[in-house]
Amino acid sequence: MKSWIRLWGKKQNQRMAGWWFVGTVGEAAFYGLVCLVGTLILGVVVAWQLFSPETSAFRVGFGFWVMVLASLSMVIIGGTGFLYRVLKVAMSVEHRETLTHRAKKLGDRWNGRPAEHPPGIPALQPYTDSPGVRLKYRLPGNPGELGPLLLSSLFSLSWNLLTAVLTAVALSSFRSKPEWGLVAVLPLFLVVAFFTSRWFFRLFRRASGIGRTTLEIDQLPLIPGHRYRLAVAQFGRLALRKLEIALVCEEEATYHQGTDVRLERQVIFQMPIGEHGRCRIDYGSPLELDFQFQMPTDVMHSFQSEHNAVRWSLVVQGEANRWPSFCRKFPVVVFPAGYRPPAPATS
Amino acid sequence: MIRLAGLQPRYEPLDQIEFDVWLGRPVLSELSALEISVVWYTEGKGGEDLGVHWFQRITPPSLQQMDWRQPQRRALQLPASPWTYEGTILKIRWCVRVRAFFTDGQQWAAQEPFYLGALTREE
Repeated sequence: MKSWIRLWGKKQNQRMAGWWFVGTVGEAAFYGLVCLVGTLILGVVVAWQLFSPETSAFRVGFGFWVMVLASLSMVIIGGTGFLYRVLKVAMSVEHRETLTHRAKKLGDRWNGRPAEHPPGIPALQPYTDSPGVRLKYRLPGNPGELGPLLLSSLFSLSWNLLTAVLTAVALSSFRSKPEWGLVAVLPLFLVVAFFTSRWFFRLFRRASGIGRTTLEIDQLPLIPGHRYRLAVAQFGRLALRKLEIALVCEEEATYHQGTDVRLERQVIFQMPIGEHGRCRIDYGSPLELDFQFQMPTDVMHSFQSEHNAVRWSLVVQGEANRWPSFCRKFPVVVFPAGYRPPAPATS
Repeated sequence: MIRLAGLQPRYEPLDQIEFDVWLGRPVLSELSALEISVVWYTEGKGGEDLGVHWFQRITPPSLQQMDWRQPQRRALQLPASPWTYEGTILKIRWCVRVRAFFTDGQQWAAQEPFYLGALTREE
């Protein structure tokens, strides 16, 4: 039983809960009001300044520009929200999607981007940008490991600088009037500086010790049933216990749980391609391996939409003495079985 | 209201799909618009995504010029992807969808599913 009329929309699984039409109208009214109030404030502030600057409450300066910016934001946010809600009521989801798709295609044409890859499949260009040394393409690695190193270096550098400045201030204060408050908190800063520096050096040592992994492939995109050659190179200075290469497919789903946006990944396919046993790698003499593999026939192609994806990648996993095990992912694009790219237009 | 021509449940990528659309009862005077589309949509754990491959919106006077009690055939070429897929946390489905808009503001929709590609077959 519906005990009250809800003035906003709420999605529950596959459907809109309650009075979705009234909810959307309520949301449209709210955004319309925000847009109207913003327009009024903007009009008053600008008109007052133009026609009677001597009596204006907001002289041209910081306050004036803050008011202009705030009211302009209200106009834009309110206007966009209002238009979106009106379109939601006036148009079907298929009609809206068609208009969005047309606008996207126009944008692509305007920017000179060719839309030649099949629909719903990620663009191939980011994967074919880099030529390989031994095979045609060098696959871009997952930048997951570089992020923490960069973050730790930035944080550690800024924290140590701050600590150095505070230490200098505290020491110089002893010449006249000592800053006891600063002296009291300084040990805390020094402890944090020690731990952030240790964090950075550990990550740096790991990155430079294990070294980078490169993976090259003779052909892209991957097509089910076809054979491919791989060239793997492991750099660094380490005693390797094991190195494994596998082809992995994951499903990825983004969903809302309350106000949080969550991401779930599920490995749905894993095929070992090859492995290498104990060996020693040194600077200047990387471990170089060649593999061949055949793409299985009955598998899903790569897929990418706003909230869902099917991602394929080549995964290199290694174990080395005195180092934690490492795992490096190289995304690839799989096209549907039997897909033939359209022949290039001849002029 | 929708019938896939030849009752073919599975299509290969780039195949031609043919279907008939008709209205079961004489409601033409109450209709304000009719939308016919061929779409794929996702189901599963993630938010629902929709892709429109083909879309036609018919409004008066074109709406009245056709006899919607008789099957109206549409034929078009399907795309190369995405394929119909039955995954663990993601499913991709294809369908022909008809949406009727009535003058009193009511909406009515019907859809006929089909399979694209060789991954998921109807047993």
